[in-house]
Amino acid sequence: MNAIRAILYRLASLFDRRRRDRELAEELECHLQMEIEANLRSGMPPAEARRAALLKSGGVELAKEECRDRRGLPVLETTLRDLHHAWRFLSRGPVFALVAVLSLALGIGANTAIFTLLDQVVLRHLPVQHPGQLQMIWTTGPSLGSNQGSRASSYPMYQDFQQAPAFSYVFCRYLTPVSVSLASQTERVMGELVSGNYFQALGIAPALGRVFTPEEDDRVYKGHPVVVLSHPYWVERFGADPGVLGQKILVNNYPMVIVGVSAAGFSGIDAARSPQVRIPILMKPLMTAASDNLGDRRRQWVQIFARRKPGYTIESAQASLQPLLTGTLRAELESPALRETSKRNRDLFLARKILTESAANGYSSLPTSYSRALVALMCMAGVALLIACFNVASLLIARAAARQKELAMRLAVGASRGQLLRQLLMESAVLSTLGGALGLLLSVAMVRGLLHFLPANGMLTTLRAEPDWRIFAFNIALALVTALLFGLAPARQALKVDLWSTLKDAAGSVGGNRGSVTLRKSLVTAQVAFSFLLVSGALLFSRTLLNLKTTNSGFRDMDNLVTFQIDPARSGYSLTRLKDFYQRLLESLRSLPQVKSAGFAWVPLLSGREADWDVLVEGMPAEGRESQAWVNGLSPGYWRTMGVPMLEGRDFEDGDVNGRPKVAIVNRKFARDIFGNRSPIGLRIGLDTGRGAKADIEIVGLVEDSLYEGPRQGVRRQVFFPFPQMNQSVGAAFYIHTSTDSATMFATLRRNVAELDPTMPIYEMKMLADQLDETLGTERLTATLSAAFGILATLLAAVGLYGVMALTVARRTREIGLRMALGARQGALLWMVMREAFELYGAGLALGVPCAYLLGRYVSSQLFGVLPADLGTAVAALMALAMVTAGAAFVPARRASRIDPIRALHDE
Amino acid sequence: MAEKSDVWQGTLALMVLKTLETLGPLHGYGIARRIEQTSGDLLVVRYGTLYPALLKLEQEGFISAEWGVSDNSRRAKYYALTRAGKKQLAKEAREWGQTSAIIARFISPAEEAS
Repeated sequence: MNAIRAILYRLASLFDRRRRDRELAEELECHLQMEIEANLRSGMPPAEARRAALLKSGGVELAKEECRDRRGLPVLETTLRDLHHAWRFLSRGPVFALVAVLSLALGIGANTAIFTLLDQVVLRHLPVQHPGQLQMIWTTGPSLGSNQGSRASSYPMYQDFQQAPAFSYVFCRYLTPVSVSLASQTERVMGELVSGNYFQALGIAPALGRVFTPEEDDRVYKGHPVVVLSHPYWVERFGADPGVLGQKILVNNYPMVIVGVSAAGFSGIDAARSPQVRIPILMKPLMTAASDNLGDRRRQWVQIFARRKPGYTIESAQASLQPLLTGTLRAELESPALRETSKRNRDLFLARKILTESAANGYSSLPTSYSRALVALMCMAGVALLIACFNVASLLIARAAARQKELAMRLAVGASRGQLLRQLLMESAVLSTLGGALGLLLSVAMVRGLLHFLPANGMLTTLRAEPDWRIFAFNIALALVTALLFGLAPARQALKVDLWSTLKDAAGSVGGNRGSVTLRKSLVTAQVAFSFLLVSGALLFSRTLLNLKTTNSGFRDMDNLVTFQIDPARSGYSLTRLKDFYQRLLESLRSLPQVKSAGFAWVPLLSGREADWDVLVEGMPAEGRESQAWVNGLSPGYWRTMGVPMLEGRDFEDGDVNGRPKVAIVNRKFARDIFGNRSPIGLRIGLDTGRGAKADIEIVGLVEDSLYEGPRQGVRRQVFFPFPQMNQSVGAAFYIHTSTDSATMFATLRRNVAELDPTMPIYEMKMLADQLDETLGTERLTATLSAAFGILATLLAAVGLYGVMALTVARRTREIGLRMALGARQGALLWMVMREAFELYGAGLALGVPCAYLLGRYVSSQLFGVLPADLGTAVAALMALAMVTAGAAFVPARRASRIDPIRALHDE
Repeated sequence: MAEKSDVWQGTLALMVLKTLETLGPLHGYGIARRIEQTSGDLLVVRYGTLYPALLKLEQEGFISAEWGVSDNSRRAKYYALTRAGKKQLAKEAREWGQTSAIIARFISPAEEAS
């Protein structure tokens, strides 16, 4: 308490220093006079009285000094003084200051920008109660059924896990788009089907009304027609009207009641795909008309999360689930559906393992790929900043050399090395703080730019460019660390001045002592090494992007393929009506003059989505082979539209409907994997591998390979069914091969759909080529940014190299002049300087190449079609840097070769 | 003549507080004089020790300062004990008593026999 008071007092006294000085002087004078008067009273003569008084009380000035020290804050005062000095020093060399601040701003800005993204994508915890206790649960191995989405489990499995003692809550979710109709307006929003304990488990309160509870919303199968709106949706769509409570809306054409709004700031488990509405999961059969799989252990579709009880670790909680799972699996194998499963599949099935992962940051299908890319980019940005630091350090060394005299003089008159070190570091701190502040501004602009770069799905909606306190803290910490990084070595170097020789030498040496040159050379060596890292990294990522872009998709003329999606089931269409709608839409599209051909598919292509089923092959036991196949349902004419050639057999026909023989088409990879070189035409396959599965589907066609989810996943082993024979009321993606430009076509297609049903929402209308581009968002981001960092790094290294070579030449002017006078040729001198530059280059590479190799392995999962230790890439990076080295060294080398020997020798 | 010693910093604060408690508001010279007299002129209080100590006490809030006029009509700064200062004085006096009692036991060998 007293200490704080004293500091406040001291702070206050900083501001009226003059008044206090005056008062102190007056007080001391008063003391002295009283002393003198006392002495006079005791009978001393006046002169004697004064002398005795002064002698007794000690020095007045010393007392003043001691009071001043106690009064103010000496640390603050000297800091302010250092700051003042630093500012004066920097403003004396504005070009130097500008270059230093700008390069630091670029480096710090890039780091802050990447950190802004990294923080939001990877580091930030969910805004829920005790996020550290959340854990996601899923299983490995075959489900002997179907899987939908990643890390999916069956609903009964979620129910089984309720018994697990390690968790206070086990809850589940399923994301699905839904159509919301309100006052005859229909829109598509993201819906999340959640278990009744979802909100309790996360500790999310309602902002209005109520949220779901296990008691009220998790009891009756299909019996909870209630909706909780997300806060943003409530604000945007309903104008934050409290009157929404009790309002009826149609969700997928089913009447439901709004009972509440979830808390503001809560965007769910997956911030990238935040739902607008939440619905009790027991409503699943009504929300996804295609399937009712709540009770089916063979259908995996929910994602399970849990809140750990205190006392359990992630590992111990995970271990406690394993017996539960194994027991259930054993029981499942006895069920009629699985009783006749093959031995191999039984073993695989029983070997299934529980996997878990902390869900403190939530879960997203996206971050897994983004986070690695962002970590890699963060490293690259860090390296670029290091290079910038080394440049500034190099500049500071040069500046220090120019002020050797000043420093030597100050040391000579009694300044301590500590004081000078403090002041030199203060100069660095000023530079880096300015750089950091400018970098912060730059980073906001950069993040804005980057957000435009990311594909317009998911991530973009939640990422913000505005810095918060975490970003500020990161920025400031980075600036301070940076200041130490580039400031300490030059400052210590500068203080190694040899007082005697520096003060004696009238002319002063150009460019400082031997130590400072060595230091600058090692800095340049490191810069070359780092540049090599960044350049080779940039090349690897660029080649990855190029490889992915030029992967043979199997589709032809993607620039003239328009795609859009519709989902009539969500508008309440029955299966028959839906099949009929698709058929009529296809016919009307084909009748358009600009349309060459049209078709549709159940699972949209190149969208990252997929469906895979276990298939049975007639005459081939499931033992010893993979039974998984990636499936899709297609309309006739699809292959012609996509430009994928039929290799054998026939395409689907309008006659391939219910009641006709079941048929399928397989792709080349499937045929080769399963049948080898045999023709698959006429062979039979079936769905699922359990009991009752029959191989009753005849393969009628063999088609060339094409991509499914995206280029990175490559060609899958695929089986295709005629859409009408699948009997699923699901959405479809239409593909139209056109001959006109897309812009006019989009409007025509919309009109076409509206003619059949004016209320049918159309979404994701775009060119297929653009769709492919969107799947490459991460890769494009990585490639572009790493290229930018590579170029920045190389330029900075070139500046550094140039600086050092120019300095070397300046230092050796006399020697070079002498050599010339003795008959050295210009070419030889040119080479002499160039060789020195290339020695630095070589040393840098000796360091950079092994580092690049190690880092390349870390990012190998991000690469595609190129090895981390790719020789071509390494050679290209070597060549690029060699050219830059030659360029940076050429100017000083040329100057060296043109030195006038007379003048060089005369000047000394 | 006995050797006069400088007052120790630690005990000076206690002496200042006690002086102000006994005599009421007083200027720096008066405080110095009083301490010297009380010590039987064994102590010397110099500017360089007294004024920083006064400043420290003022910063800590144990004494307050105010300009006033001295007996011989000279403008002088008067220091007075604050409420916090009274408490501090009681505390320091108690601690000092303990310390000196302990030291006394070490120094006087007579007590050691028991």
